[in-house]
Amino acid sequence: MSTLDRMQQPASGPVRSFEFPEVDRRRLLNGIDLRVARLSRLPMVSVNLFVRAGEAGLSEQRAGLAVLTGDALEGGTQRRSGSELAEALEGLGARLGVSTGWEGTSISLSCLADRLEEALPLLAETFLEPDFPTEEVDRVREQELAAIRQREMDPASLASDEAVRRFFAAGQPYARPQGGTEASVSSVTRDHMRGYADACYRPGEGGLVIVGDIDPNEAEALALNCLGEWTGEPAGVAGFDPRPARQDRKIWVVDRPGSVQSEIRVGHVGTARDTPDYFPLSVANMLLGGTFTSRLNLNLREKNGFTYGVRSGFSFRSRPGPFQVSTSVGTEVTGPAVREIMHELENLVAGGPTDEEVAASRDFAAGIFGLQMETAGQIASRVTQCVVYGLPDDYYHRYRDNVRAVTTEQVADAARSHIRPSEAQIVVVGAADEIVGPLEALGLGPVEVV
Amino acid sequence: MSRLTIPIERHRLENGLRIVLSQDRTVPVVAVNLWYGVGSRNEPKGKTGFAHLFEHMMFQGSAHVPKNKHFELIERAGGTLNATTWFDRTNYFEAVPSHELELALWLESDRMGWMLPAMDQEKLDNQREVVKNEKRQRYDNQPYGDWDERLQALVYPAEHPYHHSVIGSMEDIDDATLDDVAQFFETFYVPNNAVLTIAGDFDRDHALGLIDRYFGDIAKGADIPVLPGDPNIAPLIGETVREHVIADVPLTRVIMAFRVPPYSSEDFAVAEVARSLLGMGRASRLYRRLVRESRVANSVVTYVFPVLSGAAMLLVWATGYPGTSPQELEDALSEELAGLAEAEAHEVERAIALTETDLVRALERMSERADLLSMFELYFDDPGRINSELDRLRAVSVEQVRDFARSHLGPNNRAVLVYEPKEAV
Repeated sequence: MSTLDRMQQPASGPVRSFEFPEVDRRRLLNGIDLRVARLSRLPMVSVNLFVRAGEAGLSEQRAGLAVLTGDALEGGTQRRSGSELAEALEGLGARLGVSTGWEGTSISLSCLADRLEEALPLLAETFLEPDFPTEEVDRVREQELAAIRQREMDPASLASDEAVRRFFAAGQPYARPQGGTEASVSSVTRDHMRGYADACYRPGEGGLVIVGDIDPNEAEALALNCLGEWTGEPAGVAGFDPRPARQDRKIWVVDRPGSVQSEIRVGHVGTARDTPDYFPLSVANMLLGGTFTSRLNLNLREKNGFTYGVRSGFSFRSRPGPFQVSTSVGTEVTGPAVREIMHELENLVAGGPTDEEVAASRDFAAGIFGLQMETAGQIASRVTQCVVYGLPDDYYHRYRDNVRAVTTEQVADAARSHIRPSEAQIVVVGAADEIVGPLEALGLGPVEVV
Repeated sequence: MSRLTIPIERHRLENGLRIVLSQDRTVPVVAVNLWYGVGSRNEPKGKTGFAHLFEHMMFQGSAHVPKNKHFELIERAGGTLNATTWFDRTNYFEAVPSHELELALWLESDRMGWMLPAMDQEKLDNQREVVKNEKRQRYDNQPYGDWDERLQALVYPAEHPYHHSVIGSMEDIDDATLDDVAQFFETFYVPNNAVLTIAGDFDRDHALGLIDRYFGDIAKGADIPVLPGDPNIAPLIGETVREHVIADVPLTRVIMAFRVPPYSSEDFAVAEVARSLLGMGRASRLYRRLVRESRVANSVVTYVFPVLSGAAMLLVWATGYPGTSPQELEDALSEELAGLAEAEAHEVERAIALTETDLVRALERMSERADLLSMFELYFDDPGRINSELDRLRAVSVEQVRDFARSHLGPNNRAVLVYEPKEAV
C-alpha cells in the first residue's frame, strides 16, 4: 500500500447492492392478506398481525379503549389464565407483544423458527379468544391511570401532550394523548373491550406478516391452521380532517416550579403519509433536525451548548399528524433557545437548503436504509408499514431510487409548503417565574401561562 | 449444546491493540466497535463524571479530522455512530454500509492516535455545557432521576470505585481542565488498553491490511494505573441499609439492591438466572405475584449490573399505585425474594428459553455482535464466549438459585431506596 496521508479521507470501496427481500403476498380464503419474506441468516422468525383497530377511530369519551383492549389481551383466554398463557409462550422462548397506535393494533411474536408451529397458535388464541377477566380488566385500567399520572409529572411527556393540545382543534383525536384521558380511561369496562374486540379485530384491511427462516407455503399452512376460521371486516371508521387550533403564533408556558430545564416543543399540524411531497419533505426534515449534523443540532448543541440534543420531525399518519421541534434546554437559556429554533425554521423556509445539504441528506437516507434491514423484526415492521398505509408492493424496492431523485428545489418547495413558522405554537414546560420574561422579550407573540 | 457458531478470529498488533474479526456477508453492513478499558471506576475523587465528559470530547475532532466531521462523514455514508461510558469501560461504534469500512477505521484511528492536537478551551466549554444539560435532562429534571447515584452510594462504600455515578457531579464537571483531558488521553486512550472488533461484511485480508495501516503506527502506552480507592469489598453488605426520599415523584417506588459476585466470577451466572426468575417476562415471579395477582405494583424491574470490580449489584424495583404505601411494596418484594429459595426447575428452563431468543435476536445485528465480542475480549480475554454464553447459563442448577436466594437476597445484604410522593406525606 502507498504511504498513508492521514489528511486524506479514504475513498469508498466497491458498493455491494442491497436488495429488500422479496415479499410473497397471498390472499387466504378467509380474506387474510398474508405477506411472507424469507430471511435465513439466523434461525429466527418475526410475526406481526395488524388489524385496523386504532385510537383515531374512537370518540373522545372512548379514547384509550383500543390501547386498553390491546393491553388486556395478555390477561388470558377462554382456555388459559393470563399466567398460564405467559408460561406457555415463554416456555417456548417466544416474545409476544401488543402495540396499539392511531392506525391500528399490532400483535407481534418473535421466536426461534422451529418453535413457530407451537407459538403461532398461542398468538391466535390470545387474539381471537380473549376472555377479559374482570380482575385483569381492572388491572390494565389502573395501570393506564397510573401511567397518565406518571406522564403528568414527567416534563417531556407533559410538553408533548400540551403541544398536540395546542396544535390541533379541540375534540379531534390527534389533540389528545394516544392512550386517552383520565376521564375516558376510567369509564372503560369489560363489556366495552369485548364489544370492541368483536367489532374491530377482523382480518379485513389488516395483514399478517411473517419474516424469517420460513418457507411461504409452510407459513400459509400454519396461518390457515390457526387463523383459518377468522373472518369479517372491521367496523367502519369515520374520517376526519385535522384542523389547527389557531393560525396565529403563540407561546404557551406550563409552570413547573423549580425546573432546572425547560422542555420545548415548537410546531403545528403537519401533513399525511400519502403526501406527494413525502420524499422531499423527509429530506427537508433531515437537514433541519433529523440527524446529528442537522442545522438545529449544530446550532443549539454544538455551537451554543444549550442542550444535550434537539430533533425535528413530521408524524406522518393516515391523516395529517404534528410537525414539531423538540428539545430540553437549561432554564437560563430558554429564551435564546426558542429564538434560535425560530431562526432556523424561518431560515430554511426563506432561504431553502444548499445543494450540499440536500446531497448529504439523500446519501444518509439511501445509505441507512440497508442498515435498518438487518433483522427479521426490522423487515417485518417495514412490510407492516405497507399494510398500514397502503403502500405499493414495490415501495421498498424503489425506496432508494425515490430518495436519490430528490432535488434541492423540491426540498425548498416542500419546506415552504409544510413548515409555517408564523403559525407555530410554542410550548414550554419549565419554571415560569424565570422564563416568562425572556420569552415575552422575544416578541414572537403573546405568552400565556396555562 | 450450543447452536451458535459465530465465527471469530483474533489478532494483536505490536502496540498491544487487540483485534477481533467476525465475518457475516449476508447483508452489506459492517460494524466497527472499540472498547477502551476505562470508565467511571478510574475516576479519582474530585474528577467524577470525567470519563463521560472525555467521551464527548472524542467527537470534537482530531488532528486530521475537524470538529463535527466524524458525525458528518458517517451520516453521509448512511451510517450510525455513538459512544457510551460505563463503570468499567467506554465504547465507540459505527455501523456503515460495508464499502465504507475504511472511513470508519480512519476516523477511529485518528482519534485514538491524534486527538490532543485538536483540543481547545472553546470545545471543552461547549461540551461541558452539553454534558451538564444531559445531566439535567436525564437525572435532575426527571422524577426518580437520581436513583442510580443514590443506590451506588448505598451499596458501595465511599472508597470503592463504584461509589459514584457515571454522570458524576456538576462541580467536578465544572472543574475539568484541558490538562485533565490531555492526561486522561495519554493514560487510558492507548492501544494496549483497547479492543477493536469488526463484524459483518468485509474481506479478511483487506480488513487486516487496513487495521495495520491505520492503527499500526499508534504508539503503545504505559501500563494502566491501578484503580483509585479500594475495589476490595466484603461480598455482602452485612445489614439492611436504607434511604427514604420524599420527592416530586408520581408514585411510590421501592428499589432494593444486593451485592452479588462480580461479572468476572463464575457465580455471576447464578445471579443472572436468579434475576430472570424474579422479573424476566410475564410468567416471572414478581410480575405474576405483584403485578397480576395482588396488584400492589403497577410495574416491576429486575437487573444485574455486569461489572467487574469487587462486587456486582442485583436490583429489583416495584412501582406502586396512587396510595400504595412503601411498606406494602417492600413487604411484597421481601416475600418474593424469600420465596425464590423454593424456585423450581421449570422456571429455570423458561428463563433460559427466553434468554436464548433474546440473544439470537441481538446477534442478528452486526453492531450488537461486535459490541458483545469487544466486551468478551476486553473483560475475559475470550470472545468465544459469544457462542458459549447460553451454556454458561444452562449449567446453573435450580439448587444454586435456591442457595443464592438464601445467601445473597436476605436482609443481611440489602440496600433499600424508597421514593415517596411529596403530596402524600
